[in-house]
Amino acid sequence: MPRTAPLHPFTVLALAAAVVATTTAAGRWWLSCTVLLGCLLLAVWARRARRLAGLAAAILAPAWGSQLLIHGMVDTAGSQVLAAAGPLRITAEGLRLAAELGLRTAVLVVAGLLCTLLIDRHDLVAAVDLSGAPPQLGYLVAATLSLLPRLAQRQRAIGEAQALRGAAAGAGPLGWWRRVRLRSVPLVLSALQDAADRSTHLAARGFPAAGPHTRLRSVPDSAGQRRLRRIAMACIVLGPLAVLAPTWMELA
Amino acid sequence: MSPNLTLPENATGHPLRRRLMAAAGVLLLMGTYTALVLTQPAGLIDGLGQGVALATFAAYLAAAILLLAAVLPELPVATLTLIPVALALNIVLGQFVGSVMIPLYLDSLGTVLVGFLAGRRAGAATGVLGTLIWSLFNPTVLPFAAGAALVGFLAGTAARFGALRRPYLAPVAGLVAGVLVGVLSAPVAAFVFGGTSGVGTGALVAAFRSMGDSLLGAVTKQALISDPGDKAIVFLLAALLIYALPGRLTAGFAFVRRYRVLGRRGSR
Amino acid sequence: MSAGRDTVLRLALERFSYSGAEGDTLRDIDLSLAPGSLTVIAGDSGSGKSTLGAVLAGMLPRHGGDELEATLHLAGQEIRHTAGAGPRIDPVGWARQVGMLPQDARHYLSGVRETVEEELALGLENAGVPRARMRERIAALADRLGLHALLPRDPGKLSGGQERLVALAALALDAPPVLVLDEPLAGLDAAAAARVSALVGRLRSASTALVLLTRSRDRLAAGADRVLFLRGGSCHEADTAVAPRTATAANRRPLSHASVLLEFAGVDLGYAASAEPIVAGLDLRLRAGECVALTGPNGSGKTTVLKAAAGLLRPGAGEIVHRTNPGGSVGMLLQNPADQLFERTVHREVAFGLPRRGPEAARVPAVLDALGLAAAADTHPYELPASARRLVALATVLVREPMVLLLDEPTEALDAHGVERLHMALGAVLERGGAVLLASHDEAFMAAAAHRVHRLGAPGGIRA
Repeated sequence: MPRTAPLHPFTVLALAAAVVATTTAAGRWWLSCTVLLGCLLLAVWARRARRLAGLAAAILAPAWGSQLLIHGMVDTAGSQVLAAAGPLRITAEGLRLAAELGLRTAVLVVAGLLCTLLIDRHDLVAAVDLSGAPPQLGYLVAATLSLLPRLAQRQRAIGEAQALRGAAAGAGPLGWWRRVRLRSVPLVLSALQDAADRSTHLAARGFPAAGPHTRLRSVPDSAGQRRLRRIAMACIVLGPLAVLAPTWMELA
Repeated sequence: MSPNLTLPENATGHPLRRRLMAAAGVLLLMGTYTALVLTQPAGLIDGLGQGVALATFAAYLAAAILLLAAVLPELPVATLTLIPVALALNIVLGQFVGSVMIPLYLDSLGTVLVGFLAGRRAGAATGVLGTLIWSLFNPTVLPFAAGAALVGFLAGTAARFGALRRPYLAPVAGLVAGVLVGVLSAPVAAFVFGGTSGVGTGALVAAFRSMGDSLLGAVTKQALISDPGDKAIVFLLAALLIYALPGRLTAGFAFVRRYRVLGRRGSR
Repeated sequence: MSAGRDTVLRLALERFSYSGAEGDTLRDIDLSLAPGSLTVIAGDSGSGKSTLGAVLAGMLPRHGGDELEATLHLAGQEIRHTAGAGPRIDPVGWARQVGMLPQDARHYLSGVRETVEEELALGLENAGVPRARMRERIAALADRLGLHALLPRDPGKLSGGQERLVALAALALDAPPVLVLDEPLAGLDAAAAARVSALVGRLRSASTALVLLTRSRDRLAAGADRVLFLRGGSCHEADTAVAPRTATAANRRPLSHASVLLEFAGVDLGYAASAEPIVAGLDLRLRAGECVALTGPNGSGKTTVLKAAAGLLRPGAGEIVHRTNPGGSVGMLLQNPADQLFERTVHREVAFGLPRRGPEAARVPAVLDALGLAAAADTHPYELPASARRLVALATVLVREPMVLLLDEPTEALDAHGVERLHMALGAVLERGGAVLLASHDEAFMAAAAHRVHRLGAPGGIRA
């Protein structure tokens, strides 16, 4: 079972945003690596390390490949040429640039995904509902997250139903088109009909709330966390400024 | 006290505050884009580069959230229940369709559907929300929220001016939308991430770079190659899906009725 | 003129038509409801009873689209809809007076909350009721309706009966003086139907005026104060449209020496995820010309057996043997027709995937005619009433002339005429030497259609 802490979702998000902003601004490889390691340790504590690694790798591998190609392989500016053949020109500076950009992306991806893994989605929705955000936002987030598995399952049921009635699609582009039609038209049709049917009842239950609204669910919070959130929010702006201001002075 | 059974006749207008928010979002977006194109920051990793990355990220995200906050309170409930369905369809259909034809993303099918059925405001809101929710699974999409909003907005605009009345008009509208979206989103790929999200597109950018283009120039050219085709197919697929819907369902959307989105098809 | 003291809702309706529709869906209906009364509105699929329910519940007309000419008296107010213009209805205010339980209770439930308790609280949350007060009111409601065991459950994992109980409870929270219930017992097994009926009985004794929309006169309808029959959108006091029961399959005995078309021998069935098989040690033989019914409580694995017979599921143990002649096939009608209908017209739907000049394509008009769908051949399947839509799904299976026909809850959503057509279709399959295996709750239908009934046991204590 994954382990959780009684944290307000916004505390987690604010801390992550502060860390990502400051780390990105600093642009030091050792700081980025420390942050990544810290995230990984937190994931190990929460017993979500394998999931974090898998999800992050799926996003980072193509992004790193792209950055390596763009900066590492065809660098035009660097002076320390390691290898050159035709349009390819691999330089030490180019590789360094690709590595630093890769780290920048990695910090964002790993810290962001860690938030997703640590936050309970029902808590997040309740927190959004209880914040000053428009009352529609919480419902939209919650409904999308709960619809995803349902629609995916429906998609499988539709595939089954079509196979049962012997509606085969065939091969080639025409087969692709028929398969898309067989699968997506019933899905879109039933999903839109469902949405239309739901809306009247949702409206009857008072959604979206016209005035102030409440939530039955309470989200774990404390005075300490609220203070922490304020500090983190300040860090999102001040951290990068503190790191970057000296460099700007030099440039100017 | 007798209960309220009916609502006042005049619908709520657009309060000034929401208009100001929408205007601020658009201005922020255009200002950031113009500044980036004019200054063409070169260093990606020294102090200047990090500042530009954070500023681009923050400005694009803030603009998208301003637009969302401006639009959300105006959407009717029928649209609000449609949006989650569309967002889930973005992902489910995108996976299904995309798994067969690899070079396209096709991740905006649901957003375009909402734009076609419920108008440009709803489309823009769907784009931003979809990005916010998808960022829970892939944080790198966050600054692309503004681009997604533009897709939905343009889909709604296209439908309003008759792009669905003839089947061949939808992909043309998609092509135009793809050009605009590609141009708007290029600075994020270039200055925040210094690359693209895939190896194929990365190779393309690398090729332009080796021919002497600037980073922003190369990423924009790449976007102009992949985005219009992708959006043209998405617009076409969304239009065909809407043609397959029964008239009673499409006629349930006030936007479709009001602007005769489907032309004669709708009144059939 | 205002409504009398003993009337909570009065409707005088001249006509209603949907936006863009050619004819009127409803015309000339007068209705008045007294506190604690039960009014049954009976009618076939497509008779307009759901539309009438939605008008009563203030969900129709949609502003600027549909046309309604009617006068309603509710909560001491008169609401007058005229041809060109009507007032915009406040959905929340109206729902406090008239609640509506849709046929699919999942449309009522928001589906976004983690527990039933939170789901119940949704309306209160939107009204801004403080947390402590919400807890009190929900606890009191759960006491009154006996629903405490459901409160901590995940609303997404309830059975069909439990979903209706939760939706009814959420409706009862505001104690609206009128409740409209659309087919509250459809598709429920006997135990679940009893629980829902008991809850409805409690609401009625708390002097809620109930309107019951129904196809068949079930146990709830038995206690009605007034029964209205709706046909073609207008009211009839007496039931003039009794469908005659024609000769059914069970009248013909199959030959005991007829060949076995499908055989289950010691079959265990389950899904990979769960360790316990859902069905264990099933032995079943299906002979040519025979119709066998499977029944059992919800979750006993009826659908699972059918899916295995169709080859969608491999048995964990034992063997499933098909002995159909070469060319003979297995066809299955699933419970939800929405999963497979995708073409723009009924004819194209049924003809889909058939070779254009083959014998099967030539059969399409005959199949449509046999199921009473000939007039609807050019209609969008989704614009048909539920009963006809189910028959379209049946037609897509029948057009291939399967030797073994598998039917999952075939009578659900079917009205009396639909059931009659179904009987005839089953007879035709048996006549040409095919066999039918069907899963159902509908005892009357099984008695009429099946030669024998195979009862599956309750699942291993998984469902409450």
